[in-house]
Amino acid sequence: MASLSEEVLLVVKRVRQRKQDGTLYLMAERIAWGPEGKDRFTVSHLYADIRCQKISPDGKAKIQLQLVLHTGESTTFHFANESTALKDRDATKELLQQLLPKFKKKANKELEEKNRMLQEDPVLFQLYKDLVVSQVISAEEFWANRLSLSSVEHSISNNNKQEVGISAAFLADIRPQTDGCNGLRYNLTTDIIESIFRTYPTVKQKYSENVPHNMTEKEFWTRFFQSHYFHRDRISTGLQDIFSECAKQDEKGLKSMVTQGVKNPMVDLLSLEDKTLDEGYGTATVPTTSNSSNKSLRENSNSAIIKRFNHHSAMVLAAGLRRADAPSDQASETSSTDGNSRDSDFFQPPLKKVKLQEAIEYDDLQGDSGRKTISLNLKKSDRYSHGPTPLQSQHYTTSQDIITSISIIQHEMRSYKPRLTQVMSSSAASSAIIALSPGGVLMQGGAQQTINQLVPTDVQSELKHLYMAAGELLRHFWSCFPVSTPFLEEKLTGHLEEMLQAAYNKFQAWQTRRMMRKT
Amino acid sequence: MKLNIEGLLVYFPYDYIYPEQYSYMLELKRTLDAKGHGVLEMPSGTGKTISLLSLIVAYQKAYPLEVTKLVYCSRTVPEIEKVVEELRKLMDYYAKQTGVKNDFLALALSSRKNLCIHPEVSSLRFGKEVDGKCHSLTASYIRAQHHSNPSQPVCQFFEEFDAVGRQVPIPPGIYNLDDLKDFGRRKGWCPYFLARYAILHANIVVYSYHYLLDPKIADLVSKELAKKSVVVFDEAHNIDNVCIDSMSVNITRRTLDRCQTNVETLQNTISRIKETDAAKLREEYRRLVEGLKEANVARETDIYLSNPVLPDEILQEAVPGSIRTAEHFVGFIKRFLEYLKARLRIHHVVQESAPQFLKDIYEKVCIDRKPLRFCAERLRSLLRTLEIADIADFSAITLISHFATLVSTYSKGFTIIIEPFEDRTPTIANPVLHFSCMDPSIAIKPVFGRFQSVIITSGTLSPLDIYPRILDFRPVTMASFTMTLARTCLCPLIVGRGNDQVAMTSKFETREDFAVIRNYGNLLLEMSAIVPDGIVAFFTSYIYMENIVASWYEQGILENIQRNKLIFIETQDAAETSMALEKYQEACENGRGAILLSVARGKVSEGIDFVHHFGRAVIMFGVPYVYTQSRILKARLEYLRDQFQIRENDFLTFDAMRHAAQCVGRAIRGKTDYGLMIFADKRYARADKRGKLPRWIQEHLTDGSLNLTIDETVQLSKHFLRQMAQPFRRVTTRTFLSLFNDLNQA
Repeated sequence: MASLSEEVLLVVKRVRQRKQDGTLYLMAERIAWGPEGKDRFTVSHLYADIRCQKISPDGKAKIQLQLVLHTGESTTFHFANESTALKDRDATKELLQQLLPKFKKKANKELEEKNRMLQEDPVLFQLYKDLVVSQVISAEEFWANRLSLSSVEHSISNNNKQEVGISAAFLADIRPQTDGCNGLRYNLTTDIIESIFRTYPTVKQKYSENVPHNMTEKEFWTRFFQSHYFHRDRISTGLQDIFSECAKQDEKGLKSMVTQGVKNPMVDLLSLEDKTLDEGYGTATVPTTSNSSNKSLRENSNSAIIKRFNHHSAMVLAAGLRRADAPSDQASETSSTDGNSRDSDFFQPPLKKVKLQEAIEYDDLQGDSGRKTISLNLKKSDRYSHGPTPLQSQHYTTSQDIITSISIIQHEMRSYKPRLTQVMSSSAASSAIIALSPGGVLMQGGAQQTINQLVPTDVQSELKHLYMAAGELLRHFWSCFPVSTPFLEEKLTGHLEEMLQAAYNKFQAWQTRRMMRKT
Repeated sequence: MKLNIEGLLVYFPYDYIYPEQYSYMLELKRTLDAKGHGVLEMPSGTGKTISLLSLIVAYQKAYPLEVTKLVYCSRTVPEIEKVVEELRKLMDYYAKQTGVKNDFLALALSSRKNLCIHPEVSSLRFGKEVDGKCHSLTASYIRAQHHSNPSQPVCQFFEEFDAVGRQVPIPPGIYNLDDLKDFGRRKGWCPYFLARYAILHANIVVYSYHYLLDPKIADLVSKELAKKSVVVFDEAHNIDNVCIDSMSVNITRRTLDRCQTNVETLQNTISRIKETDAAKLREEYRRLVEGLKEANVARETDIYLSNPVLPDEILQEAVPGSIRTAEHFVGFIKRFLEYLKARLRIHHVVQESAPQFLKDIYEKVCIDRKPLRFCAERLRSLLRTLEIADIADFSAITLISHFATLVSTYSKGFTIIIEPFEDRTPTIANPVLHFSCMDPSIAIKPVFGRFQSVIITSGTLSPLDIYPRILDFRPVTMASFTMTLARTCLCPLIVGRGNDQVAMTSKFETREDFAVIRNYGNLLLEMSAIVPDGIVAFFTSYIYMENIVASWYEQGILENIQRNKLIFIETQDAAETSMALEKYQEACENGRGAILLSVARGKVSEGIDFVHHFGRAVIMFGVPYVYTQSRILKARLEYLRDQFQIRENDFLTFDAMRHAAQCVGRAIRGKTDYGLMIFADKRYARADKRGKLPRWIQEHLTDGSLNLTIDETVQLSKHFLRQMAQPFRRVTTRTFLSLFNDLNQA
């Protein structure tokens, strides 16, 4: 059963499972256990199926490790080698700890995707209930078709897939907890660290510089949380603070952002005013030039907070966009520097023109001419226009023919004159109209007794579900043709037949139930 | 479409028209017919500009002798450019409909900074630097020197323009700022001077207020505009402050110190010239005796030293003898400077009128009124004679001379306040002399007097009757138009209490109250969870915002808000704020959503629009009263009461409400747009406040939305947003509009 090519990462002997001694194998994609003396595994779990692992507390006599699966089942291993049990267990645990997250993401993604599809599409959900829950076909078979469909879509849209951004409040999520003895504990997860690194590249740089040569990881983060850098309202910078440099770099970044100016001329406050009053004119109080000296410490810290918030938001925003449009960003950067040196005005107008045009449009006053249509996206347009008919037998009309025929028709229409004397008499026309309107002679029986009025809605909906379930099965059935592989043949002769039978039975049952109720 | 407005054929470049646009044009037409002034309020986003342009252009075409020129004044550069683009659209439509090539000349005029194409000069960042550099290349004596000494650099674009640009008129068309630059580049002419020259014969001129209202600039730029012009002040809700600012002067100790250096430089230059070229000074003296004005051509480039007083106040006599010679004048200025220095050496606040000041100066240092009035004129002449290139250095002495001229010209409507220190920092000596204009009608009076029709219009001019009073003119039409809506796309709510029933208000006594701040924070937090995309919040002042942000940070409110949206905050630095604004828009654009914390009366509240998803909700924290303890304001209020019978409280409320309306109006920029307007202060519910909001906001304020708690607000907002998020059925507006249009189609 176990293919030889599988890479075995760890082998632990003398592990008991259900009171049986055996050996535990950790392989590249799964964990397996086989009883002593036999060469097959009685327990085998893919890592992707495992939700989490649990270990017995340190003091316990039995040293155990439990695997909880997504399905809710669990398997417990008892490490029974007296001397090395603890070591064995920890080694297993460590390895699993490394392995599980890798698979977890994949599994979760798939699950999430399935969940999402079911939630978004009530029809699909109903189908799922009808087919899978009632065990007409298995869940895997149900999804096999669907997911491949969506994965095709994915591969198309893959190249502009969006990255998950960073929550603006990620720093707020790190809530300090008091540990009871005058200390604070911060809980950091890999996600938060990732967020910090992505938002503040300078911190990442510091991290790679200092850890682990100068300090441990723990020490690094402790310092981070102690630094003024983390606390935005503290201004004083101790010299030994390794993050003071980060703050300086941030300041620099902020300054360079500011000097780079804005690309959108409509929001550029600097060039908003046409003619500012000269210094000394006007009633507004002149801002004091020596601001830092006569401002109180509190005011300073307030403005520091404001600055940091702006910076933080800008960084978070940038972190979300950074990877997505790295090349285009570069392009815009060069153009923006161009825009600053004012002799290259040639680059500026397009954006400005567009913005101005946007600002003066009143689209509800405009006529209807510019109605947008969705363009048909065809890979092979000739197949669309000619259909799947065999090529040789068809006689095509050339575009020239079409044009001439249109012009002939147009010509005829131009010379068309209604022969008003030879039309139907008005009385005959009105009687025909009466006959054709609801309640008339010709409309008897049709209009009032449509099926959807005859049949109650619940029966209709049930019938609809059955119909759809049958349709889905038939889709599975037809997708097996042409039968090219033995697998398909097996599917066709084997359980598809059963499935159809099951569906038919279900329909029969429903029908009889209906009949019973009616009588 | 073509419209018939009381017998006038108006081309309107859209297929449909809003009813209010039609009535707006009707009122406008009546104003023009009566050759009088008008005050018109119409919500922004209902196509005010295009209605104005359509009607006035049609009027100009129909009666070319009655209205020769349209002068359109707007506030900011982007707005000016928008107007020109709308005009271009209109003219394209005319050309398409009539088949006749456009023969109108319309152009935008802006400062040198926005028009210069000289490679070196235009690369400077600040307007003042550009002006100074330009002056040093184009001043008349520089060019004269260039003739004798070709190594003296001049601006080749100006030279080219001066040589041929005046003879060949600029071809008809619509010239935006960029078009002017393009044209200038192609011809090799200076776009700035080309535009300044071309406005004299242009049919339509679009520029900023200052070119008409600030006497220092108006005298140079707009002096020769024809009387039969129609002047439009768009976004004019703040026009009184523009008027006042252009006539007020502040003098600090630093100004005086720099002025001192200026005087020394002048003295040195004079003595040097005396040795080398005494004839020059004698020539100047002779000119001053004869009272000769400088030739116009020479003046055109010497923009810096214009007279600060209004044209009809400038004396047409010769400069008095006591300051005719250069040394005497410098001595005179020195004496004046010493007097000002002495006045600033005080320990208590002094407030006096202009006549009192003149009397005091006569008694103390024997300076007469008459030479003071000629100070600005005399300094201009001197600086030209001395051939001082870098005028920017002499801004301090220019300021002092302007002050001298102003204080001796106007005996009414001004006040002088000398404060030894700022109110907030009583320990630090920082004496300032405020020479403050209190009467906005002084600056705008010549405009009303000179032009046959002046239209004052904005989205927020309520209450309408106050503008004619403070600007002292008699309008023939006053009208406020509301917005006809196919769906109620604005939702004004007044939040008066927190969930704990504590009143929410920015009243001075309670603004530091912990509960108030917390409730404000909760409001923002709750809104950030339900409003999509962008939220803009306005505070009453910068300091108030700083304090609130700090305490929100301490309370952890900001962190919670960050879970929903990114936060950007306006700072006092314009460049930083621009960046924050751009990032804010970026965050709204890519779907993250963001909050912009901003300040009423700040640059953002006045100049930036938050269309569509850039502003789905505006929250106004508190009532944006002006800082009432300022002495200048007190003096102004007193003046308003005595002269115009406007009560202090009425004016303060009016001022606060117009700014609040401006702030909340930023979110709605059209009928397809929608947004919440949240007034977070219980005082808004009072009739005297509510009644001063523009009609188009008041209409949607029901009694049910007057004194809400935060929870109620959230409920109402949710309901509103859910309704608005439905696809906008254009059909409904369409049928509505077309019904109306069928009735009015010409």
